[in-house]
Amino acid sequence: MRLALMAAIFVLCPLIMLAATQAPNPNANASESTTAESSTTTESNSAADSLTNTDETGDGAEKTEPASTATEPKEANGNADESLSTFRMTEKKVDEFCGQLNEYLAGVLFFPVPIPFTSKIEKKLDADGNAVLDESGETIYETKDQNATVPLSVFWLIIGATFFTIRMSFINIRGFKHAIMVTAGKFDNPDDEGEVSHFQALMSALSATVGLGNIAGVAIAIMTGGPGATFWMIVAGFLGMTSKFVECTLGQKYREVRPDGRVMGGAMFYLSRGLGNLGIGPIGKALAVLFAVLCIGGSLGGGNAFQVNQSLNAVQETLPAGAENYRWVYGIIMTIMVGIVIIGGIRRIAKTAEKIVPTMCGIYVLAAIVILIMKAKDVPDAFTAIWEGAFSAKAMYGGAIGVLITGFKRAAFSNEAGVGSAAIAHSVAKTEHPVREGVVALLGPFIDTVVICTMTALVIVITGAYQDKTLQHFVAADNGAGLTSHAMNAVIPGFKYMLAIAVVLFAYSTMISWSFYGERCWAYLFGDRASMSYRIIFLIFVFLGSIVSAKNVKDFSDLMILGMAIPNIIGLVLLSNEVRKDMDAYWQRYKSGEFKIMK
Amino acid sequence: MSWLPRKKIVVPVDFSEESEAAIPTALAMAESASSLHLIHVLYPLDSVSPGVVWGDVNDEDRERAVKKKLAELADNAGVKEATLVTRMGNPGLEIASYAKEVGAELIVIPSHGYHGMKRLVLGSVAERVMRHAECSVFVLRRTDAE
Repeated sequence: MRLALMAAIFVLCPLIMLAATQAPNPNANASESTTAESSTTTESNSAADSLTNTDETGDGAEKTEPASTATEPKEANGNADESLSTFRMTEKKVDEFCGQLNEYLAGVLFFPVPIPFTSKIEKKLDADGNAVLDESGETIYETKDQNATVPLSVFWLIIGATFFTIRMSFINIRGFKHAIMVTAGKFDNPDDEGEVSHFQALMSALSATVGLGNIAGVAIAIMTGGPGATFWMIVAGFLGMTSKFVECTLGQKYREVRPDGRVMGGAMFYLSRGLGNLGIGPIGKALAVLFAVLCIGGSLGGGNAFQVNQSLNAVQETLPAGAENYRWVYGIIMTIMVGIVIIGGIRRIAKTAEKIVPTMCGIYVLAAIVILIMKAKDVPDAFTAIWEGAFSAKAMYGGAIGVLITGFKRAAFSNEAGVGSAAIAHSVAKTEHPVREGVVALLGPFIDTVVICTMTALVIVITGAYQDKTLQHFVAADNGAGLTSHAMNAVIPGFKYMLAIAVVLFAYSTMISWSFYGERCWAYLFGDRASMSYRIIFLIFVFLGSIVSAKNVKDFSDLMILGMAIPNIIGLVLLSNEVRKDMDAYWQRYKSGEFKIMK
Repeated sequence: MSWLPRKKIVVPVDFSEESEAAIPTALAMAESASSLHLIHVLYPLDSVSPGVVWGDVNDEDRERAVKKKLAELADNAGVKEATLVTRMGNPGLEIASYAKEVGAELIVIPSHGYHGMKRLVLGSVAERVMRHAECSVFVLRRTDAE
């Protein structure tokens, strides 16, 4: 039964390809979506353009593909004319569908919240809606007579993180030393209920957050928000530490221990049970379901398709021109690699991939430090640009508020503090004290954002990659990973290959971890037995990630992952009094020396 | 189906209140407590959870934990002599195949009465047991089931 299912899935993705490449008439697929029909002519034209390119470069691409897939490009070349143009058509349609989906969701999750005493800065547009340029060809910006706005979910995260930091009296700073001691295993008791040690829980949660957000996301933040976005990202990282503390403490407190010793926890559980204890059970239940639905979406978008898409962009930097026509080959390889773990049950691969991640992080940070040392004379200027950019932002970055939003948004997307996802991983740690795991969890945003993201940001700012006119195509294509790769390679020649490997591994381990988050939420909604259907959907999205354009994938990811913060933070705020009481009680016992140091 | 006490009755246990309540019902139909076979079916271990990837969660430990719980349950229900069994896989199929293996005369199973989404996605273990079992199946209907 399992084998049959596995086979079905591995056949499914190539079949999608086949269907796309074999359809004789491009219009045959158009009935899928009415909007696709209107753009058929332009698509055909652009498809024809891309086809010409392929003919010139197709051979080069074929040589660079891994040996295992060498037969596929040959097939594609066989009837290259039709197959590639129809493939591009299908790709566009998938992309358009994602784009449409985004529009509906964005209406709610990105609802613009006006900020008093500020004003909106926008590009000046002419009557036709085109940007107006000055004599030197620069875009003109104008200050509108409206307040600047913040997307609802970002506003929510900022307010939430600030509130928790104050409510918990800066536990992110007070608890830092204790967090390191606990993570080092000083208080580990192997007889406590749970599945992993504090260190392992932290590593597990980190493998979900450390990834493309740190490499691609940060580059995107600096491209759209300027150097100043770095400052707000670090601030968001510090505040986010408390959000993470609160959610992971609750994740531990309301976890469920099954008869076989397995532990299930996370935002779904504290929302439904915690709010149930406050006498608002139905609201808690509704928030838990909303959270689970968004988390499943996030696990398919940001935790999956975005990872495939952006890691592919980074890998593409190391491949010769023409390889972009074979993105689906990477999609299939990734689908198989993920499939053999989540459906095939080959645990060793997941174990190895996840355990390499900390080493890879180390190498990445080290390389960034080397770049900073090599460019030491530019460091003061970079810090000035970051500091000044944070407060007196240029209009092209959307003003000070625009920079702040960009910084917070990317930090949230990278460290997921306030989003509630990490609580699922931290809830399985072996401990009797929920607060202790919360304290460990606050190291997550510190490592992820304050250390790793800052390193990427400094590299991008110091090398000036974000304002290099020759690199503007990365900016236009939202290819953050490509920009970082280019920036680092310029200083350390050949580093792009190292980065490509790191990026693929980060992406892979993030996908494995997110498939766990998604599966837990799926099981919460549909029961433990329904896991297999989730795994199949997950694999389909791995493949889709390789062919859908970065823009729509990123937007979809943003919407889902940031959306999770809405039900989560409502719950965290309502339960914050309880966390405060638990924290004070724990802290008192800790300070009085009541907790034995085990080693 | 005669009303004589049975020598082998399989009682699936998922540690819910309903399944605990099924034990006395089964006992009433059994020759003695030793005629009862309490079975718990574990789901196969996934390969992506932190406990598997980072920790050392494994099937042997899971089975041991469940056996311990089953023993406690049997003790509390006053059926210490019952045979305790754990299996791994699809609950409905495993229960039916175990009953066949030991030549059970009856399976006593509670129905949780899931409705809506869970019902649609999961179907019902009881339903599957009925479809696959070769012996009689006694389904205990939950009082508040829809």
